[in-house]
Amino acid sequence: MEVEVSRRKFLQGTVAMTVVGGVAGTGLLSAGHGEGEAPGSPRLPKSVTTKTGTGKAEEIPFLCGMCVNKCAGFARVEDGIITKLNPNPYFPKSRNMLCPRGNAGIQTTYDPDRLKYPMIRIGKRGEGKFKRVSWEEAYDAILNGTDKFKGLAQILDEEKDNRSTIAYCNGEGLSKEGFEDLVGKKLGSPNYVDEVSICLETAGGGFFATLGVYPEIDFEHADYMIILGANRAEAIITPDTMDMFKQTKGRGLKMVCIDPRFTNTAAKADKWLPVNPGTDLAYVLAMTWVVFNENLQNEAYMKKHGVGYEEYKQHILSHKYTPEWAEPICGIKAKDIYEMAREFMNAEHPIIYPGRRSIFSPNDYQLRRAMAIFQALSGNLDQKGGYIYGNPIMLPPEYVNAPIYDQAKPRFDTEGIAFPTLKSGSWIVFRNMVLEGKNPYPVRVMFMRKHNPMMSVPNTAKTRQFLEKMDLNVMIDILPSDTAMYADVILPEASYLERTSPVKAYGFLEPAIVQRKAAIEPLYETKVPEQIYKELAEKLAKPLFEISKKYDKDLQEQIKLRGEEKVFKEDGYDLADAWEMPVHEKNREIVEKVYGKKAWEILDERGVYYPHMEEYHKQLDPNDYQYYPKSKRFYSTQGDKLRVICKYDNLAKRGIDAMPTWHDEWKFSVPEGKFRLITGRHAQYTQSGTTNNAMLRDLIPTNYLWINQRVADKMGIAFGDMVEVKSEVGTVRLKAYPTEKIAPNQTFMLHGFGSESKGLELAYGNGANDAVIIKDDIEPVFGAAVMHSTNVEIRRV
Amino acid sequence: MARYGMALDYKNCINCKACEVACKEENGVLLGADKHRIWVGSNNPEGVWPNLDIASASFLPSQCQHCEQAPCEEVCPTHATYYDENGVVRVDSDKCILCSYCMNACPYDARYVDDRTVTVDKCTFCSDTRLARGETTTACQNTCPTKVRTFGDLDDPESEISILLKTRDHFSLKAHLGTKPKLFYLT
Amino acid sequence: MTEEAAKQEGFVEKAKAFLATIPYNKISVKDILNYEKTPVNNFIALLTVLFLAFFVIGVGNYLIHGHEAYGVTREHPWGLLIAVYIFFVVSSTGLCIVGSLGDVFGFKDYEMISKRAIFGSIVTILSGFAVIAFEIGHPIRMMIWNVLTPGLRSAIWWMGTLYGLYLTFMIIEFVFLLKHDMKRAKTFGLIGLLVGLAAHSNLGGVFGFLNARPISNGVFYPTYFILTAFITGIYIAFIMMGFRYRLKFPENARVMLVNLAKIQGLLIAILMFFETWKMMTAIYGGVPGRSDVAIHILTTWPFWAEVAFGMLIPFIVILKSKGQDIVGMFWASLIGMVGIFFMRYDLVHDTQLKPLQMMKIREYQLPPEWVHYTPSVTEIMISLGGLGICILLYYVGTKLFNLDADAH
Repeated sequence: MEVEVSRRKFLQGTVAMTVVGGVAGTGLLSAGHGEGEAPGSPRLPKSVTTKTGTGKAEEIPFLCGMCVNKCAGFARVEDGIITKLNPNPYFPKSRNMLCPRGNAGIQTTYDPDRLKYPMIRIGKRGEGKFKRVSWEEAYDAILNGTDKFKGLAQILDEEKDNRSTIAYCNGEGLSKEGFEDLVGKKLGSPNYVDEVSICLETAGGGFFATLGVYPEIDFEHADYMIILGANRAEAIITPDTMDMFKQTKGRGLKMVCIDPRFTNTAAKADKWLPVNPGTDLAYVLAMTWVVFNENLQNEAYMKKHGVGYEEYKQHILSHKYTPEWAEPICGIKAKDIYEMAREFMNAEHPIIYPGRRSIFSPNDYQLRRAMAIFQALSGNLDQKGGYIYGNPIMLPPEYVNAPIYDQAKPRFDTEGIAFPTLKSGSWIVFRNMVLEGKNPYPVRVMFMRKHNPMMSVPNTAKTRQFLEKMDLNVMIDILPSDTAMYADVILPEASYLERTSPVKAYGFLEPAIVQRKAAIEPLYETKVPEQIYKELAEKLAKPLFEISKKYDKDLQEQIKLRGEEKVFKEDGYDLADAWEMPVHEKNREIVEKVYGKKAWEILDERGVYYPHMEEYHKQLDPNDYQYYPKSKRFYSTQGDKLRVICKYDNLAKRGIDAMPTWHDEWKFSVPEGKFRLITGRHAQYTQSGTTNNAMLRDLIPTNYLWINQRVADKMGIAFGDMVEVKSEVGTVRLKAYPTEKIAPNQTFMLHGFGSESKGLELAYGNGANDAVIIKDDIEPVFGAAVMHSTNVEIRRV
Repeated sequence: MARYGMALDYKNCINCKACEVACKEENGVLLGADKHRIWVGSNNPEGVWPNLDIASASFLPSQCQHCEQAPCEEVCPTHATYYDENGVVRVDSDKCILCSYCMNACPYDARYVDDRTVTVDKCTFCSDTRLARGETTTACQNTCPTKVRTFGDLDDPESEISILLKTRDHFSLKAHLGTKPKLFYLT
Repeated sequence: MTEEAAKQEGFVEKAKAFLATIPYNKISVKDILNYEKTPVNNFIALLTVLFLAFFVIGVGNYLIHGHEAYGVTREHPWGLLIAVYIFFVVSSTGLCIVGSLGDVFGFKDYEMISKRAIFGSIVTILSGFAVIAFEIGHPIRMMIWNVLTPGLRSAIWWMGTLYGLYLTFMIIEFVFLLKHDMKRAKTFGLIGLLVGLAAHSNLGGVFGFLNARPISNGVFYPTYFILTAFITGIYIAFIMMGFRYRLKFPENARVMLVNLAKIQGLLIAILMFFETWKMMTAIYGGVPGRSDVAIHILTTWPFWAEVAFGMLIPFIVILKSKGQDIVGMFWASLIGMVGIFFMRYDLVHDTQLKPLQMMKIREYQLPPEWVHYTPSVTEIMISLGGLGICILLYYVGTKLFNLDADAH
């Protein structure tokens, strides 16, 4: 078998990004390289993997940052180098384990391509020509600009202090709120786009609107589960992935997997049925019809908790959403639909798995609503073996003194959306409106952190245009991503293993609070996010206050009344005041206040705390732990107040169906000779953020295009052949993987590859970026990105 | 002195390869698809879309079986391959001459060449890392998301592995070759 | 002088005295270069120099890059160099057998080739060692630990140790042959032959003991190796005699060669019989790991090269002329040696054809089918270099020693 990744490549480690005044990348194995570049910076390991020793070592509790799950672990630090990441057995949510990415965090922290020092752009956007500068110079460039780009001060002055000229985007993480505080609350920008509109906003919204919760699941007592398009074996969510696969294959939980593709989840299920992409709604409506038609539902339960229940029943029956009607639409046989609906209602604790991902088609919101109602029909909510509302821990929110910017104009990205969210907006609508000139005022600044829209938002060509249109782009990140190449100022952040983060609560059924502590000091010249927020805020505070003074009439009034210094301090214009206390101190304050000193000591030492942890937490066997005894878990917490909103009138007011209804425009059809592109995950990568990780590259060296074996044979395409994939918005090239695991008229590629950033040695030019070819369609409720509506042509090259 | 073995509840395995990564991180194994001590094997499902055979698409983690009658130990000309006091098959990299006989004799494809020492290497049940520090789990066991693996002392009737083997059906790979492997796949 | 020192000195004196009694020609470099400059001879000389250059380059490349210079992989750890080593040691054993016919077993007709064959057996095994020294990862370590902590159940240990002993006995036998001490030559020849046969069947046993490889496991290789050794020895005997007499054979040589040809005919017939049954029993019944591999082998061209060059062509030449066409046999022997090389290569490669682990270990790969191996340039260069060393040593030997039978 070929050795896919040459070991030599890792040894070279030179970065092709041109950086004046600094060596952008130093190979992990450069001779004599034992120190990080800055004096006092922690040591670097001498090879990609380091064997653990038997001598002295520290075990520092951390929370993994390789994906959203925040699994708890202990970082083993020997002689200042992180040699291994081990699971932390105290966190109920992560179930004492670390997935492949969790283990590979070491290679991300020690990635030779890490952003090491602040840089400012001296070439064209996207060229990769930067100059190394000091932090002070970088902050100054943001405020005052350079000959290549304008500064924030000048832009705000020109816009007469309209803070909405600043837009910002942020990726999920424990320091996300801090960035929102900085740019949103303190700098006053309302134009915020984060990852939810290209991810779970719609799914979550549908469940939330119907049930009041985006539930957890109690797998231990569940006995039947239908899982629709959620690939838990490869898209790992804790604790779901850990729990569900221990029960399948005849060990207590019968799992039916419905997915267009034969994923690893399908391989673990008891039954797999392919469905036409985007037609799951027809399937769920048909199952609902069967239940109503045969009166299998828990009528008493629905009468008690349902809102608009009778109308919904009428609605389903009168529309005649029979399995026979559904079969040609969704591709699932009518007899299977009857069987599943009956099995579901017959089971003691059935689950239709909520799922959590970006959306397939514009009907996704209705799909999730229909699923939530279907679950409710069984009565299996808020109890053992069912959907769990639980008792999540609510830590007291942090108060940030946010100035009121009178000149800031409101958000505008509402076109075509029923519920423009107050906070996170719609990436596609926002971007496209700005590109089409439909914004009522100029948007000129983009503050970005831990976000890679060039690879994550559909239609990369438009994202490129958008970024080029901005007058000032600022990026805070740990690696030189594709989007970072379009920044004017890059501020390097410390990775998650190098920082202590704000304490956070997780879990409904077995809630806990967790804290991560820095295993090593920040490498090179990077800084922890909260320090960057503070320093940037300090730098911007007074100059921007001067601009507000010029244009903000209300502010001028207040200054006349109370005096400038008072207004500056009391009305929140002292931007850095939100970060006066270091994170660790803040955490201690919060935890001691809510739970007491002892709780803080436990949290600080073990990284996890929940009430009665010392009493409840037990080791059951070499692998498993008890976190909460069954009697103490929060199975049922809602009682009578639980509501199932079957008919949602508010939606109708905004032009959306009040009850899940099928429309034929959602039928699945692919023109002859074309293929429908679908997206998905493998367990070894997290979207685009991990494709430069040496260890993970070892597992999957590149992404391949899935194409049905027989179709490939006809087209003369063999394994590894280069193919070109073309849609109406872009073209990419990658290698082909003929397989029977995908339908003849569909195709798939793993997301996150095809980077164009020369700064990422392993990711650059490797594979294809699906965002280049996915159309920017949106669904009508939140404007979230629809991922499975693109048809492509494939040809061998 | 123990007699170490491992039980694998392989039906839990989701082929995420956390175990492969943890092994390489813990034991400092070089990167490279041919340089793995442990791996998860998978099969393409049989059949033609949409009639695919789920049972044929199984995942099977595997590694050195630490056989009690290890062919690799028999064929080594310099006794570089030996059984340590816990029944773990080890390679003394000071004695290995890289004749590669053991690589061909092993029925399980467990061995590979470590480029740094230019000697044969393989799974050691983390003997010189975790076990040497007094821990009781191997890296692969500890990290597994679905808790497939249970490592332990087969000579201790109270150990988790002994209880599992007594109460559940299990099989071993290529048992007909008489190697007496100490990896047991629970069914 | 102490008694100890006196004893030592005495021993050294005795050894020196002994060595002085060995007849050899005093030659200089000029003598080595002094050969009849025919086109054929020049070509062979050039080829030898080229091969020796290859050897140096190949070894240099290996010393810099280590095993990465070779085409061997995790699934296919034994490659061309192992095959070439086996080729040389089989030739050596074969020459030992041929050489023993005269001086050990007393068949008068074959006495004339004994010295030459025994010398040939030394030269070939030294070439084989030269090749394998750069295949074994740590040859020095081997010499230490093979002695200190031997693996007595390891066929490689026995093979290595026995071949070392065999070489020693061959050298001693040759010395006695040179001194025309036929009695002692016979003793050491017999011991050397037995040790050589044991070593050689252990080499077959290296493959025969592989329980994990049903295609090679079993009785066939240890036993058939002796048969093919004999066949190889006869081929080389023809080649050596052909060069010695420039295909104009004197009567005693002609008689011997015709006899050898007839023996060869019988041996090849037995070999073909064995091979046929081996393949048939392997294929019969469809046992996985054996049957599928055997069928696959039948579709690969090196197998047919082995059959055609190593067996069929020489056999036909012998059959057609009833063994009388010894000139034809000379040419057939050259072809036969090519076939013998393929036999060794096939042995090594076919053993490793079937992957031990048939599951995919990565999503994006083809399911394992057959293990592929291509020798790298470095391996080819070292192999040809071994051949060059062999030719050079033999040629120097022909100048240094009198390899013809001594007149009675």
